[in-house]
Amino acid sequence: MRRETSLFSRLVVRVALVLCGGATLLAVAAWYYARAAADDAYDRLLLGAAIQITANMTVDNGSLAVALPTSAFELLGLAERDRIFYRVIGPDMRTLTGYEDLQTDLDLTSARAAPVFLSARYRDVPVRIVVAARALSDPSFSGWSYVVLAQTTEARRALAGELTSRAMILVGIMSLLALAGTVLAIRYSLLPVSALGAALRARDPQDLTPVNVDVPRELRPFTASINHFMGRLDERVTLLQRFIADAAHQIRTPLTALSAQVDMLDEDEMDEIGRRHLGRVRKRVGQLARLTNQLLSHAMVIHRSDSVRFKPVDLTDVARKAFRAAIPVTVDPDIVISFEAAPQPIVVLGDAVSLREAIANIIDNSLRHGTVSHLAVRVLGSNGRARVEVEDDGPGIPPSEWSNVTARFVTSKTGEGSMGLGFAIAAEVASAHQGAIGFQKRGERGFTVVLDLPEYVEGAR
Amino acid sequence: MRILLVEDTRDVGEAISRRLEKVGHTVDWQTDGQAAADILDFTDYDLVILDVMLPGLDGFEILRHLRTGRKTTPVLVLTARSEIEDRVGALDLGADDYLVKPFDFRELEARVRVLLRRRAGDPTNLIECGDLVLDRNSRSVRVGNREVQLKRREITLLEVLATRPGRVFGKDELLDHLFGFEDGANQNAIELYIGRLRKKIEGSRVRIVTIRGLGYQLVADDAA
Repeated sequence: MRRETSLFSRLVVRVALVLCGGATLLAVAAWYYARAAADDAYDRLLLGAAIQITANMTVDNGSLAVALPTSAFELLGLAERDRIFYRVIGPDMRTLTGYEDLQTDLDLTSARAAPVFLSARYRDVPVRIVVAARALSDPSFSGWSYVVLAQTTEARRALAGELTSRAMILVGIMSLLALAGTVLAIRYSLLPVSALGAALRARDPQDLTPVNVDVPRELRPFTASINHFMGRLDERVTLLQRFIADAAHQIRTPLTALSAQVDMLDEDEMDEIGRRHLGRVRKRVGQLARLTNQLLSHAMVIHRSDSVRFKPVDLTDVARKAFRAAIPVTVDPDIVISFEAAPQPIVVLGDAVSLREAIANIIDNSLRHGTVSHLAVRVLGSNGRARVEVEDDGPGIPPSEWSNVTARFVTSKTGEGSMGLGFAIAAEVASAHQGAIGFQKRGERGFTVVLDLPEYVEGAR
Repeated sequence: MRILLVEDTRDVGEAISRRLEKVGHTVDWQTDGQAAADILDFTDYDLVILDVMLPGLDGFEILRHLRTGRKTTPVLVLTARSEIEDRVGALDLGADDYLVKPFDFRELEARVRVLLRRRAGDPTNLIECGDLVLDRNSRSVRVGNREVQLKRREITLLEVLATRPGRVFGKDELLDHLFGFEDGANQNAIELYIGRLRKKIEGSRVRIVTIRGLGYQLVADDAA
């Protein structure tokens, strides 16, 4: 399966990728800042506690004493789940109290200027350590003593995590809004494309005039190319039609002469085989004549459809003329052929010659491929529609093929040979007159072809 | 009957005149339009068959010339599709019928027969009987709005029956009307024509009734 490319999905995917990248960067930044903020906040507590401890160092009788202040631990207790480790070091670098194994790689003397913070691992958990120093200057005891205070980092991580996730929610909401906005914007910008597509799809396949749809500037090269192409196609089709008409016209004279010659052959002087061959030649010449006439007729109705001004014409009159022309005098006398005019005059806006061709072709088709013993032509008018119905008692055309028969040279399956251009001509004329060719089936025997046209009302357009 | 054929394609002209001569007509065949127009000025014909594309004077000109001279000679125009297109009014100019080339020669012969008969008979155009209207000119019978095409002998048969509705016509009598003294016709032919006529006037209140052993009569049922 080939994946269908879509401008919409291309744009959406790319914008989404950019938004994801942006959100990731923002998340990393938020995490970084949240950690910094959490560290900052808890470091202050840690420092406060360390300073309280150092403040409670006293020199008593020449020896250093530390009374661990409860307030310091209460302060640290604000981070409920965290554990605290401490170590107080005397000037002689001996541990005065606390965890002796709470070591740092730090040179303790660097804490003399200002307390030093560092992150480390203690007892396999990450801890934050502050080292504070105090200079003791007692006459009996002097030197620097240090407090090393460590706190596990759970509360910090929790705070950092919370801050980050809140930031992430905001980033997420913003990203979704941006994506939704983009989707809407793309949809909106692509509307003219689908409008153009719809306009092209809605076109009659015969219509090769330039596309006339308002499109944004960016789409103009596209419509220009379409129009250029249409123009060339139109020229080509016109040329082809003229060629076909010319060719058919050229064929006509020798063909008439040929059928004249065939007509002059004397059957009486022939043997059985000769007569059979002559019969076939006659039949084929007849077919050829009919097709040539249809080609010319087709070329004519196409030519007239864009060159002749429509006038109000009496449809009954046109249909009667078509009826006379299409029913040969030599028709089988056992066929009942009738013509039924509407009681009131029925007027359509159109070209009498094309309409006559259309009706004559429908009748001719029915006579050749449908009619068994009845053929009726009716002209009717009602509700602003004018209709010419040609009904025969043949098997008709199966509904599955109704849509095909108006195409050129469709071979009927029920009859023999090709139905030629008859319905194509009729359909062409119908559509030029804003009408249509329809079919109706009535039971086993009874098939009606309907030429349906808008009735002309004086004064209305 | 005397027929003037104006056709410049040799093969076609030859075939038409051969065919018409075979059924007993006299055919004068001209290939030049001007010459044909001159001949028409001082000769009367029973029918003129005119090609449209001609050297000298074209078919439409000849037709106009003929009609302005107030001659009613029936004219059958042989034309090509593209020429009707240019002159929609071929029939309006006064042609009685036209055929589009290439055409079927049997059809040509049949149309010639119709045109010649129309001229010879000059019968009253409309005959009414009950709700039937028989129109000889358009060779049809009308029931209400519905016109049904009839053949020559069917018209004759219906005409005979319709002139005396209710009267019983014997088969022999009808045979005489239909075929005159032609050979080969027999009473089965009458049954055939009666059968066809019955089908074609279906839906009318007029019926053809068979009186066994005697013949046929036309009966018009009253609407009541």
